[in-house]
Amino acid sequence: MQNRRISSAKNLVLSLCALCCAPLLIAQTPAPQKPANSPAAQASSRVPDLSGNWAIRPGGTSWDPSDPNGAKPEQLPMTPWGLERLRAAKPPFGANQSFDPNDPHQRYCDPPGTLRMYSYPWQFTIVQTPAQVYLLFEYLHVWRVVSMNQPHPKDLDSTWLGDSVGRYDGDALVIDTVGYNDKTWLDMVGHAHSDQLHTVERLRRVDHDTLELQLTIEDPKAYTKSFTSKKTFKLSSFPMGETMCSLSEDQSFQKNIMDRTVSAPPAK
Amino acid sequence: MQKCLLVLSLALGLLIATPAFAHHGTAGYDMAKVVTLTGPVTKVDWTNPHIVIYMDAKDAQGNPQHWTLELSAPLLMQRFGWTKDSVKSGDQLVAETHPAKNGAPVGTSGTATFILKFIVNGTPLPVMGPAQPPRE
Repeated sequence: MQNRRISSAKNLVLSLCALCCAPLLIAQTPAPQKPANSPAAQASSRVPDLSGNWAIRPGGTSWDPSDPNGAKPEQLPMTPWGLERLRAAKPPFGANQSFDPNDPHQRYCDPPGTLRMYSYPWQFTIVQTPAQVYLLFEYLHVWRVVSMNQPHPKDLDSTWLGDSVGRYDGDALVIDTVGYNDKTWLDMVGHAHSDQLHTVERLRRVDHDTLELQLTIEDPKAYTKSFTSKKTFKLSSFPMGETMCSLSEDQSFQKNIMDRTVSAPPAK
Repeated sequence: MQKCLLVLSLALGLLIATPAFAHHGTAGYDMAKVVTLTGPVTKVDWTNPHIVIYMDAKDAQGNPQHWTLELSAPLLMQRFGWTKDSVKSGDQLVAETHPAKNGAPVGTSGTATFILKFIVNGTPLPVMGPAQPPRE
């Protein structure tokens, strides 16, 4: 598995060099040496072009499809384990929103987790190569690697982003991820997940300017049944930028802004 | 002597119809109120996670107050048409803000979904709301 990650990192470096012309990566996907009617060429020709910088719209802070802003966070079908953790959470959004949060990302700049990356109002880009697909997020400069047409390794470690494998299904890129650790939240309203989390993402371009994500979440330790939610992202004309989480900057903001709104104001 | 003014008013429904999104949330603010502040800028922190602007103003009784205003992150504010030089220390500022619920002189004037009115040395900066999407 380590070799696979090293190989993936090498491929990412090469891919980043070509990021400015990402569409060319798609264009070159069919190997030029192969006959046009070979099985490999036919498979490559069916690769949907998902390239572009995709803007994440603000809002949609919960993955509950019937409660996207977390007004009723307890309505998801939770196990007692999942409900207990939801009730202990002090999230930044939803019915239990707090300006004195215990959100590990907000408090410690911990990685927010794969699924929450789709909720921050920055953008991401998709780089497709035959062996790997990369999702590069502007926020925190997180990059995900999706190993194409491979099974998950058997010796999985639990990690922040989990292990992602992918395939194309018609016009969709299907990403199957397991091997998450249990240190992140599903969303911005405090829904928990365990290390048994299994997610399936279907990304498809519904039109030139719109990318749709259909996400199915399964976690038998936290939820009594799986559920599926959707988000859409718009093609952006902005280049990719930088927004990092710095603990020193966050602590300064906490002190100068947030702490002052949750404590009694100074006597006049 | 700069005449400073503090006005408390209710925000119109359109401004609060879309949930405000700052990644820390807005739980500490009264999003149904807008305060208009007038006075000099004393400091600008153009930094993540949110730009912070410090200014002097006066309350309705004329007492001096030192306010701290939160805006969105630098990258998003740039996409909304601001630059790091849009507001500088020493500028004369008229600024709207949603004040802290606890009465502290702290407010949020912008998130990923809105930017309230900012007039710097008489020139308005780009605002944003449901009817004014980010510049593309």
